[in-house]
This record gives sequence, C-alpha cells and structure tokens, in this order.
Amino acid sequence: MLNFLTRRLVAGLITLFVSLFLMYWLVDIAIDPLKDLRESTAPNKEQLIAARIKLLDLDTNVVVRFFHWFTDVLHGDFGIAWRSGQPVSDLVAHAIGSTLQLVTAATFLSLLLGVVVGIVSALRQYSSFDYLIIFLSFLLYSLPSFWVAVLLKQWVAIGFNDFLADPKFAWTTIAIVAIVAGVLWSLAVGGTAVRRWQVFGISAAATFAMIAYLQVSDFWLEPKIGIVLLAILGAATAFAIAAIFAGLHNRRALYTALTVVAIGVVLYEPMQTVFKGDIFKVGSHGAGWLIFGLAVITLVVGFVVGRLYGGPDWGVSARTGAIVALIMGAMIYVDKVMQLWPPYTKALNGRPIPTFGDRTPELGGNYWVGVLDSFTHLMLPTLTLILIAFAAYTRYSRSSMLEVMSQDYIRTARAKGLPERVVVVRHGFRNTLIPLATIVPIDVITLLGGAVITEAVFARPGMGALFVNSLDGAEINPVMAYLLITASLAIVANIVADIIYASVDPRIRLDA
Amino acid sequence: MRITRKVVAFTAVAAASALALTACSTSDDSSSNPTKTGGDDSGINTETSVNIAWNQPFYSANGTSITGNATANNVILYMLNSQFKYYDENLKLTPDTSFGTYEKVSDDPLTIKYTFADTAQWSDGTPAGPEDLLLEWAAQSGKFNTVEQKTDDEGNVTNQDELNKGVYFDGASPGIALIKETPKIDGKSITFVYSKPFADWDTNIDVNLPAHVVAQRALGITDAKEASDKLIAAIDNNTTADLSKIAKVWSNDFNFVQMPAAADKNLLVTSGPYTITDYVKDQYITLTANPDYKGDHKAVFNKVTVRYNGDPMGQVTALQNGEVDLINPQATADVLTALKKLPNTTVSSGPEGTYEHVDLQFTNGGPFDPKTYGGDKDKALKVREAFLKTIPRQEIVDKLVKPLDPTAAIRNSFTQVPGSPMYDGIVDANGQKAYDTVDIDGAKQLLSEAGASKVKVRLLFDPANTRRQNEYQLIKASAEQAGITVEPYKVQTDWGTDLSNATKFYDAALFGWQSQSTAVTESDANYRTGAANNFYGYSNKKVDSLFDELQTTTDTAKQEEILSGVETELVKDAFGVTIFQFPGVTAYNPTKIGGVSKLTIAPTIFYGFWNWTAGDAAKK
Repeated sequence: MLNFLTRRLVAGLITLFVSLFLMYWLVDIAIDPLKDLRESTAPNKEQLIAARIKLLDLDTNVVVRFFHWFTDVLHGDFGIAWRSGQPVSDLVAHAIGSTLQLVTAATFLSLLLGVVVGIVSALRQYSSFDYLIIFLSFLLYSLPSFWVAVLLKQWVAIGFNDFLADPKFAWTTIAIVAIVAGVLWSLAVGGTAVRRWQVFGISAAATFAMIAYLQVSDFWLEPKIGIVLLAILGAATAFAIAAIFAGLHNRRALYTALTVVAIGVVLYEPMQTVFKGDIFKVGSHGAGWLIFGLAVITLVVGFVVGRLYGGPDWGVSARTGAIVALIMGAMIYVDKVMQLWPPYTKALNGRPIPTFGDRTPELGGNYWVGVLDSFTHLMLPTLTLILIAFAAYTRYSRSSMLEVMSQDYIRTARAKGLPERVVVVRHGFRNTLIPLATIVPIDVITLLGGAVITEAVFARPGMGALFVNSLDGAEINPVMAYLLITASLAIVANIVADIIYASVDPRIRLDA
Repeated sequence: MRITRKVVAFTAVAAASALALTACSTSDDSSSNPTKTGGDDSGINTETSVNIAWNQPFYSANGTSITGNATANNVILYMLNSQFKYYDENLKLTPDTSFGTYEKVSDDPLTIKYTFADTAQWSDGTPAGPEDLLLEWAAQSGKFNTVEQKTDDEGNVTNQDELNKGVYFDGASPGIALIKETPKIDGKSITFVYSKPFADWDTNIDVNLPAHVVAQRALGITDAKEASDKLIAAIDNNTTADLSKIAKVWSNDFNFVQMPAAADKNLLVTSGPYTITDYVKDQYITLTANPDYKGDHKAVFNKVTVRYNGDPMGQVTALQNGEVDLINPQATADVLTALKKLPNTTVSSGPEGTYEHVDLQFTNGGPFDPKTYGGDKDKALKVREAFLKTIPRQEIVDKLVKPLDPTAAIRNSFTQVPGSPMYDGIVDANGQKAYDTVDIDGAKQLLSEAGASKVKVRLLFDPANTRRQNEYQLIKASAEQAGITVEPYKVQTDWGTDLSNATKFYDAALFGWQSQSTAVTESDANYRTGAANNFYGYSNKKVDSLFDELQTTTDTAKQEEILSGVETELVKDAFGVTIFQFPGVTAYNPTKIGGVSKLTIAPTIFYGFWNWTAGDAAKK
C-alpha cells in the first residue's frame, strides 16, 4: 500500500511539473498583456508600456519566468493578479467557495437521479421505458451546456416568472400532464396488461390530484407543506424507504419508519418556534452550524428509534429510521424556507427566479431569506449541470447493472429463493456501485475546477469564471494557480479512485 | 419486481389521499397561515433601487493611478466624486460651479487658478479644498518620485525596502508634469503655473482622492485639518519621510474589490452625490445618495446598484427578467435582435469611443514607399491615393455597422470624435470627404499615371476578429476592380506586436484607436515624425511644426484651425482613411428609469445621472 502510494505520488508530481511547465509556456503564447495599451492613444503610452513590461518582467525569457514563478509557488506565494493588484490566493479562495456551493448539490442530485433511473432502466432492459431513457440520456448528453443554460433562462426563469403573474394552469394542461405521468409510471413498472392499466390509472389520478391541489391551494404564490401534507408525505416516504431497504414484511423496520414520521409531525410546531430564534434573525451568524447540528441529531434519533425496536436485524431498522428521519427533517426545513416565498416574491416585484449572479443585491433579510435567495440563484445553474451529468450517470449505472445482473452469483441468489428485492438491492445494486466508485471521485474533483461555461453564462464568480476572466485579461498568475489546483486535484482524484476501487472490490490488490 | 410495483402503488395511494385531505386541510390554513408569520420577521429590505448591468467589476477608487485608470473604475467614480468640470452631451466641458470654479489668470506663463466653492465637501464633513488638488499634482507630476518600483514576474515588489524609504507615486501624467513649480495655496484657491503653454490645460488636472484621508492614513493623524496641514507642509518642503508614506497610501490603499473592513471605512469618503454602501466581490456595488452632498448634481435615485455580468446575452435576459434596468452590452447583431423583441424596453444605438481606420506604410519598401519607385515621391503618393480611393468606406458602414447602429456614418476626422465641438469644422476643412465614395476609374487612372501595375497590398488586421475579416473581404473585392491585390499579412508574433515590430511584413494596417478624452494633443503621438503610435515612418515637417504650435495653443478656435491644418496635410499625403466609430447599444426599462443618454467616451451610459428620471415602477 505504502509502496503503491509513493510510486503514484512521485509519478503524479513529475506529471504535475511537466504539465505546469507546458501550460505556462502555452498560456504565455496565448495571452498579450499589452493588448489594451496598443490601441490606446494616451499621451504617455510609451511610458505605460515600459512600466507594464517591467511590472510583468516581459523582457525575460518565458522559461526563466516559469522557474521564478515555480519557486515562488513552492514558497506558497501565488503572486498577484496584476490588473486589479489582488493577491491570487485571495481570488482563488473566493472562487473555490462559490464553485463548491454550485457543484455539491449538482453532483449529489445528478448521482442520485442518474443511478436510480439507470438501474430501473437496466431492470426493464429493452422495454419501452428503457428505450425512452436511452433516448433521453443521449439527447441530454449531447446538449451543449451554454444552450441548455439559455433555454432554462428563457423557459424556467422568465417563463415561470411570467406564469406567476397569473398562476393558473388550464385544466386540460393538467390532464395532459397527468396522462403523460401515468404513461411513464406504467412503462417503468411494467408487468401484465392489467397491471399496467392499474398503474396508469392510479398514478395519473395521483398526479392530477397533486397538481390540482397545488392549483387550488395557490401553491405557486404561497407554497407550503404544512403539518397535514407533512404527515401524508412522511407516511409515503416511510413505506417507500422501508419497502426498498428492508422489505415490507420486516415489520420492525416499517414501524421504525412510521414512528420516526410521527415524531417529525409532533415536532413540526415546536420547530417553527425554534426557527424564529435569535440565531436566525437578521445579522446573526452560526445558523448554518445549528442546522447542521440539528441534521445530525435527527439522524441519531432515527437510528435510536430503529435500535429500540430491536430484533435480530436491528441494523436494517436503524438505517431505515435514520434515512426517514433525515427526509422528514429536510421537509420541515424546506417548509420553513417556503414560508418566506411570499415576501421574497413581493420584494422582487413578483419575479423571484433570477437569471444571473449568486445573490440579490441589497435584499437584506434573515437567515431564511438568505437560504431562499441562494436556492433561487442556484436553481438554474444546478439544473444545467444536473441535466448533463445525470445523462452520463444513467449510462454508467445502466450498463454496470446489466453486467452485474447477468453474473452467476445473481443466478445463485435467485436459485436459493431470495426475494427479488434482496437480489436487486443487496446483490445487484451494491456491485453496480463498484465501477461508479472509480468515476465519481474523478468527476467530483474535476468539477471543482469549475463549470467554466455554466459559471460564465450565469455570471457566478467561481473557479471557471476566474480562469476565463484571467485568461481574457492576460493575467498569467491566476490562470496558472487555477491550472495548478485542477491538475493536482486530478492527480489526487486518480489515486483516491484507485484506493476506493481496491477497498470496495476484494479482487483488486494495490500491492500486487 | 413485485416490490417495485408495491412501492409505486403505495406512493400513488399516498398521493391520491393527499387529494382527499385537501378539502380538510384548506380549512385549517387560516390558523397557521405561514404568509403572515413569515412576512413579519423576514427583515427583507423593501427600498427600491435602480440596477445597472456592467461587464467589469470596479477595483480602484483612485481612477488616475496607472493601476486604477480604467473605465470600470471611472464610471463608478463619476457618480462618487465631484469635479470642477464635466462633459456635456456635446462633449463640451462644462464647469460645476457648485464644486468650484477655475479661470485662466494669464497666458504667459500659463497660469490657472482653481477656487473651491463653499458647498464642496467630502462625505465625512471635511470641506474639499486646495490640498486635494495639491496632492493630485504631487502624485502625477513625477516631481517627488525618488525611486522606481521594481518587480519580479509575479508582480511582487522586489525593492520594498528601498521603496519604503523613497517616494513612489503610481501615477504619471505628461500634462501635469508641465507644472514644475509647487502650486500656491491661497485660502480656498490654488494656482498652477505651467512651465510652457499647454493646449489641454482644461482637461489636465482635477480633484481625485481626499487629501485629508490620505494624510490621516499615511501619517497616523486623526484630525482632518491637522492631517491636511501636515500634507501641505510635506509637499511644500519636500519631506521625503512623510511623502514616502503618502505616496504608498495614494498608490495602494484605494485599490479594493470588496467592501473595505470597518477600520478602513475612510477609503469610502467621496465628494459627490453618492457613496459606496455595499460591495460584494464580483457581484454588485451599491451606491447610496450622500446625505451631506450640497452640490448641483443631486441624486435622483436614492440607491444605484451596478451589477456585474460579462455575458452580453446574459445582460439582455437579465433586463427582460427585470433583474437590471439599464444595460450597455457589447453590441452584436444577435444582441440587437434580441433587444428589439423585448416588450417595454427602450433601445438606442450610438457610436462608442473606438474608431476603425486604415493606415499605410511609408518606409517598408512596399507599394506605398517612394523607394520602390526609385525615390519618386509622386508615384508613391499616386499609388497610395489609388488604394485609398478603392476602400469601400460607405459599403463597410452600410453592411457591417448599420445593422448595429442605423444612425452610423463614415467618420471623417483623424483627430476628433464625431459629435465633439470641433468635429464638423475639421471635417469641412480636411478634404477627406473626397474618399466617401469609391472611385475605381480614378484609381485606375492614378495607377497608370504612376506606371504601377500589379500592386500588391499586404493588409494587417486581427485575424481573430470577425468584423475585420469582413472588412478585409470588402476592401479586397473593391480594390481588385482597380487591379490592386489585397491579401492578409503573414502573422509574425501577433498583430498588435507586429504593428510596431514587423513593419516589413505589412503595407497597410486596419485596426481601431480608442479615444479617452477630447484632449486635442492626444493625436500628437499618432502622426508626428517618430512618435509612439506612428509605426509607418510617416514624416511631414509641416505636421510636426503644427503639432509643436498646438501644444502651446490655448485658444480653442486656433486649436481647431491647427488641427484642420494637420488633417489637410494627412489627406494630402494619403496617410490613410478613417472609417467608422464602433457601434454601441443601450437598452433600459422605461418603467424604472428615464432620461438616459450616452457619451461616446467614459462615463458612457452613466453620463448626466442627475438628469435621470424615476419611472413609475421605481417611484412605488
């Protein structure tokens, strides 16, 4: 193991050095720091040019300059972005923060969505649903992100904001949406013709009911979950989670989940008082940590409930409880954020979904307003990233699941009479994740390099924007700092991926 | 698969029961109506402000230092600080008497006296006064600089110790350097004496940074009066120890890219209608009306927020979505088409500060060099004239500029921006109008007179710039008819470097010059023998002597006459042609803001913000 790590690290460092040298050289060719002065008619133009040549040491050979830069970096000094005179380390720190905010949600959501859809698609191989998903994922995969971004701005932001002026769907529209949803569900679930019609009927009716409820309750202007809906959605979640992770015959797990939901519903009103506490008021800090603490407590409570139900297989119950608890907590949190929607919409003249930036200027407001404002600003860029990344994950998980399901050990599991749920979730799903374990770390870490195009289109000040703007402004130091960070992260990601692979798949040994 | 089906069935049942419960749940809404409870303590700011989109963030409150002199800073500073004079709509300098007055006391030696008005005041309550102009002079004149900053390739200062002891102001103005004598302060007035007459004295110097704040920060004095006095003394007596600290504060402290820390709030002291009240890095800067401002340029909007978005189409979408109210995106045909489709939007096009032109090479051994014709100057002149006659200026304007700015016209002056006071007079005099229409027959005749056949012109332009590519195509097609072959030059390093360094490789250059002001001496560097922007070996003794005269002419009528003389020579020598002013587009939401107009040079759309009017939606 140690031997492997040393070998990989040394190779990585050499790669890093060579690539940095090449990049420095190429960037130096690509940029022209004197460009703006050349077209200038300032009377002291020559003096300004001379000053800049001296400032940037442009008379020195690029190789020498590279080594100057490199030694400074070894001493922890990334230099200055000369146009604004700001230290590069400050710029990078700011940019990484913004990028993390954007990339975290996008990665997890697209992973979750991609894996679930991919696996369902694989289980229904060569069905209409499968073909539909294949078509969709190839379509999304081939879309350029700048185009998706512009479409989203036009339809989701401007379209939705226009819709809010008079938020009523025609009943025919709702009916059509309900029918489409019904068709999708019946395709995904499959089975006999009768079963398909049943599923179609139930899910179409349910969808119609949901949208009708939203319409009747004026959800678009005053969105809320409320205690009643919380109970219903919570119960549905409890059954769903218990069915997938434990099987409904496991009564202990089911009761755990339902108990957790009951606790959540009981705590709903007290939590409203907690959320009005001083720490959430305008100008206070630390609310984020409090919420994080509450999330941890929620997980523990769910776990403990499962443990208390006991039984020989209490781990399953505890896990189910923890997941359900987290979902309940999230719903209560979202409900609180939703309560801020009416004043927020009003402050923005009825156009709450923005098309650029990462916050509304001069909005003011308490912690919840801040969260809502971040949500609305993150929505479009996150959607853009999800739509594209989701497609890739669907492809990976589908093919991986197909391969796993044709393995001998799956046949063995079926032959010894295990229920299909156990075969899919325990034997199939877990092994499906092995190839993903190598892809995801690399994806996550390369995404830290910033989604260059997405950030530019939505004017978010992340790593990608830093890179593009610096390149545009002919500032080599921030460009190189960016390349240094992304290159080192890529190397680390590869090593991490190898280690993860070895730890999840016992057939692989690093020291071999 | 049964389980999966069960899951769906359960979810569906659950969702269906949601409907059943809707009826009950609507009634209990009133008891815990979230709208009201959420609205009461949300703390949302309800004050309306006007939002303006701009492409590059502000980074320095010192808009005249070498580092800080950029449009991104100057448009914001225009609203923050008062000055002695402003451009009006016709690019004429107009004094702001509520800040102060200035007058020419004598012509020989040129002596200018600036007097501060009683209403001139910094936002911390300190009156603005002569020490502010004195500091600006000290910083820009170069008189006090004892060391030069040395840096490594990182931009890190390497001779910090030396700089700590010495004086280095990050500013340089050749015009201010002409004021050699330390200016005299008399009460509220300060008098500058020029060592020689200077044509652009009225755009030469103005108030920039608050001297008392610079002194307070540099010398560690809290009292404003005492700090200013110490600063005046340091400049009068050339006290290196104090000046060194003052220079450092002047050069560095005012560069910031987000709200300064509470201890540095005095960096935000301004003398104009607005002060910076919020600045989020790379996102927006908010200016709030300065309650202590007593001048004439009263703020119309209590709050102006400038939001940063570098994507032109992104600005258009943001305008459509009501996130910004006024935009000035980089003009492309797509942007204009998109803007025209927007309801409730006022769109206007107009010229910007950069102008396109073609210059010819006189001394590179090419077709325009007399040497090619055995030193026969007339022959070379005829070939130059022939080539210029074929340049389809009107066609270029019609095809490439009018789609973006329907009012676009050929620019006919080598020195003045269209719309500036001298433009019409100079254009009438210089004779460049003769090149307005293409004259293929005339060109052919000139070529045959010169006995030049198969003339080949290598045209330098930025190959990555689509518009210049298209211009080249039009020029090429037109010149071909007269038997002149135009081809792109072979790029050596990059076009900008080649312009000055690879003169052997091109015969004509097609690019843009950017006008910063209406200063008449600005064009000196372009056309004088051996000057910085004269890459073409062009030399005309008469032009040189006219420029010498212009430098010291302070009378505007005389200045116009001299510039007309210069341009007439340029046209006579077939130096080149000017083609068009870059088109720009402005769009705004009239329900939020009105009275917007735009200057061709900085502050562009921010011009005359005191004449803006609040639209109906902004008044609420």
